[in-house]
Amino acid sequence: MKRSRFLLGSVAGLTVAANTDSLFARALAAAPLPGLPGDDRVLVVINLQGGNDGLNTVVPHGMEQYYRYRPTLAVPRGDVLQIDRNVGLNPALRSLKGMFDAGKVAIVQGAGYPQPDHSHFRSTEIWQTAAPDRIERTGWLGRYLDSAGMPENNLFNAVALAQVMPEAFVARKVDVPAIGAFRGYGLSSDKQASTKAAFASLVRDERVPFDSPYLGRVAEIEDHAQRGSQELPSLIGGYKTTAAYPATGIGRSLALAAQMIGSRLGTRVIYVQHGSFDTHAAQRGTQDRLLQELSDGLKAFYDDLAEHGNDTRTLTMTFSEFGRRVAENASRGTDHGEASPMFVVGGGVRGGLFGAHPSLDELDNGDVVYTVDFRSVYATILEKWMGRPSREILAGEFSLVPLLA
Amino acid sequence: MIATTQYRPAGTLSASTALAPYQGQMNARLAAHLLRRAGFGGSPADVARVAAMSPGAAVDSLVHYPKDTGLSGRPDDLGDDYDGLQQKVTELQRMGSDPAELKDARAALGRSRRKTTASMQRWWLERMVRTPAPLQEKMTLFWHGHFTSSMVKGITPREMMNQNWLYRSNALGNVREIAAAITEDPAMLKFLDNARSFKEHPNENFARELMELFTLGIGNYTEQDVREAARALTGNTVRGAAQGGGYTFALRRHDFGTKTVLGTSGQLDGKDVVEIIFRQPAASRFIAAKLLNFFVYNDPEPELIEGVAALLRKYDFQTSPVMSQLLRSNVFFSDRAYRALVKSPVEFVVGAHQLYGLSEVTDESLAALGRMGQALFDPPSVKGWDGGAAWLNSQTVLARENFADYLVTAQTTAQADSWLVGSVPAGADAASTTLVGTILLGDASPASKAHLSSYLNGEGTSALGVLSVENYQERMRGAAYLTMAMPAYQLS
Repeated sequence: MKRSRFLLGSVAGLTVAANTDSLFARALAAAPLPGLPGDDRVLVVINLQGGNDGLNTVVPHGMEQYYRYRPTLAVPRGDVLQIDRNVGLNPALRSLKGMFDAGKVAIVQGAGYPQPDHSHFRSTEIWQTAAPDRIERTGWLGRYLDSAGMPENNLFNAVALAQVMPEAFVARKVDVPAIGAFRGYGLSSDKQASTKAAFASLVRDERVPFDSPYLGRVAEIEDHAQRGSQELPSLIGGYKTTAAYPATGIGRSLALAAQMIGSRLGTRVIYVQHGSFDTHAAQRGTQDRLLQELSDGLKAFYDDLAEHGNDTRTLTMTFSEFGRRVAENASRGTDHGEASPMFVVGGGVRGGLFGAHPSLDELDNGDVVYTVDFRSVYATILEKWMGRPSREILAGEFSLVPLLA
Repeated sequence: MIATTQYRPAGTLSASTALAPYQGQMNARLAAHLLRRAGFGGSPADVARVAAMSPGAAVDSLVHYPKDTGLSGRPDDLGDDYDGLQQKVTELQRMGSDPAELKDARAALGRSRRKTTASMQRWWLERMVRTPAPLQEKMTLFWHGHFTSSMVKGITPREMMNQNWLYRSNALGNVREIAAAITEDPAMLKFLDNARSFKEHPNENFARELMELFTLGIGNYTEQDVREAARALTGNTVRGAAQGGGYTFALRRHDFGTKTVLGTSGQLDGKDVVEIIFRQPAASRFIAAKLLNFFVYNDPEPELIEGVAALLRKYDFQTSPVMSQLLRSNVFFSDRAYRALVKSPVEFVVGAHQLYGLSEVTDESLAALGRMGQALFDPPSVKGWDGGAAWLNSQTVLARENFADYLVTAQTTAQADSWLVGSVPAGADAASTTLVGTILLGDASPASKAHLSSYLNGEGTSALGVLSVENYQERMRGAAYLTMAMPAYQLS
C-alpha cells in the first residue's frame, strides 16, 4: 500500500488565491460554533449502501444455527476475529479489530426499526429521515443543521462526499454541497477574470420571462458551486499528512474528510458513501472486499486524525439500510433482510459491544429481529456528541445507548 | 439540498381540459419546448421548422417517426473479444490456477468492458444527436431509466445492446409487453439475479423490483406477493456462454407448485405474474406518474395522473396513442409545464451538440456526462436516475458548466461555418440578442442581455475594446458559454 499524496498533489496543481477576507474566513472568525458541549466536534457518517449482511460482519460464531443457515457463506469459526464466545468480526475487518481492542470502537448489535421495509429505497429513506412511520421530506442531519443555527455564510457547514446528495442532508435552511471527487471541483472558466465575474452575475438571473419551480434552486446551486469551488482549495491546501490511505474510493473520501476536518472550516457533519453491499449472489468475495476497504480506510483515517490531534473530536458512525436474510439463497448470496450492526468509532466512544445480538432461534419470517432502535443511536449521538436535544429532531423520545461518556 | 414541499409548478391545474388538444398558436418557444421534451432540443433549423407547423402536425411528425433512420444499428466495438476473455477468467478460476495469471485475465476483461462501454455510450449519444426520430430515442432513454440495468454481474456488451434494442424497437410500444419481455431478457435476468434463482431458495431481487420499481410502486403489494412472485419467476435464466448464451427456461429450476400473487392463485410463471400485475389499477397510475414526471412536470396532481392512467387503460397500455395525446395536450403546452423540468445530463449534452451542429461525441464529452451523473448503461441503482432536484448539486453543476466551456471553446473551433462564429456580428447588442434568442429562446431578463452585451464589448477588462473582427470569435464563444450557464439553459 503506497502512501497517498494525491490530495495534496491536486491541491498544489490549482491556482490558490490568497483570499484572506473571504466570506468563509470572516464566517470562521466571527461565528462561535453553536450549541456544542465541546468546541468543534465533527460527526462522520458512513453509509454502507445496498444492505450490509450483518451476520457476516459481526459473526455469531457461537450460534450453531448460523452454520446451518449458511452452508457455503458462513465464516468458519477458525477465521473469525473473536470478541467473545458468541461473536467476533469478519477477518476482513482486521484493522478495525485492532481499533476495537484498543477501546476505540463501539459495536451496536441488531440495529433496526419496527415493521421493517425490505425495499432499498424505502428503507434507505427511513434511515435517512429517521421517520419509519411517516413520509418526511427533511433528513435527520438536515434537521440537526437547521436546529443548530449554523452560520449562513459558511458553505461548508456539512459536506456530502458523494455524487448524489443523500436525503439525510435535506434541510429547510442549510444547503450542503456534494463533492464527489475533489479533482472535478472547480470551474474551468474561472481562469479568466472577465468570464468569472460575468458568470457570478448571470447565473443569478431570476427576473426571467417564465416561471419554474426549479428557478431559485438552479440559481442558488450555481452560485454556491462557483463560490465554494473557488474557496475550498485555499482553505484546505495547507494540510499535510503521512497517513497511508488505501487507494480506494472510501480511502480517498476519508482522506479528503480528514483534510477538511484538520483545516477547521467549521464543518460539523461529513457524509461518506461506500458500497454496493447488495450481495444477492456470490456474496463472500464482494462483501469481504468492501469490509476490508472500510476497515483499512478507517484505520488510515484515524491515524491521520491522531497525527493532527483531531481524533478525539471526530466521531464516525456507520449504517446500512438493512441486514440480509439469515438463510443464504441458491446463488451463494443473501436477499434483503432486517437488522444489522452499526459501528461507532473514535471521538469519546466507550469501546465494546452494545445491544444484544439478534436471536437466530426466533426469526421474523426468516429475518433477525432488531434489538436496538437505530433512532436510539441517533439520539445518543445528537445529545452526547453534538449537544443538541434529540426529541424534536427525531420526533420522539428514544432511550440512549451508553456508548458515549 | 433545501426541502421544498415539492417541485410541482405554481398555479392550478384545469383538470377537465388538461388532456384536451391545445388549440393555441405555435411559436418558436413552444416548438423548442416540444423538441426538448419529445427529443433533445434540436438545431436552430429544427426549431424554425417545427415553429411553422400546427401543434397537432408537429406532434404527429414526432410520434409517427420514420422506421428506417438510416443510422448504424450497432457500435463499432461491441466487445468481440469479451466472451473469450470472460471464458478465460472462468476457466482459470475453475482450475484454481496461478493468482497472477488470473489477475491479468481479470484486468484484460475489465479493460475490454470499459472500452466497449465507452464505444456503446458514444454510439447511442451520436444516434440521439443525429436521429430523424428523436422521440424514439427519448422513449428508449425513458425505458432505459425505468426498466433499468447496468453492465455489471457478467452482463455482456451484446446482452446490454440487445436490451437497448428491445426498448428502441418498442419505444412507443406496449408497457405490459415490454414488462413481459424483460422477464426473459438476459441482461435483466443477470442484473437482478433471477438468472441464479432456484426453486429451493428463490432469489427475490427481480420479483421485488418488478413490482416496486417497474410496475406498481411500494404499498401496492405485500412481502408475501414478492416471495410468491419470486417462486413463479424461477427457471427464467440465461444459458452459459459455452452454450451460446441467450434466454432459456430451466425446467429443473422452476417451481411448478401453486402460488398466490396479488390474490390470484395457480401454477403461475413469470408471464402470468406480469398479466396479474397489469390487472391492478395501481399499474396504470404508476406508469402514468412516471411518464408525467419525465415529459411534463414533477409531482403531478393526482387528477392528472388518473387522467393519463385512464388513457393507458383505454389503450390497453399502448404508449403510442397515450404519448400522442399527452404531447399535444393543453397541460403540455401550458406555462406551468414550460421550463418546469431540470434538464438531464443526456439532454444537456445531446442538446448542446444539436445546438451547435456537432455530430461527433468525443471522449471528453463522454467523461463529462459521467461527472454530471448520467453515464449511459451505468445508472446509479436499479431505480435508474432520480432526476429533478437530484441532478443539481455542486459537483454535477460544475461538470455541466465545464462541459459547456469545453464545447464552445474546443469543440466548435473546427466549425467555421457554425451560426455561432460564421459571420461577424453587427455589434454587441445584436450578438447578445442572437445568443439569447438561439440558445435560450429569449428566456433571459433585459438586465442579463445587457450584461452579456457588456461582456462582448470587453467592459470591465483591461483588454482590447469593443466587439470587433479581431476578437469576435473568442468573445462569442465566451458569451455562448455564459448564456449556457444562465438558469433557463439548465431547465427543460
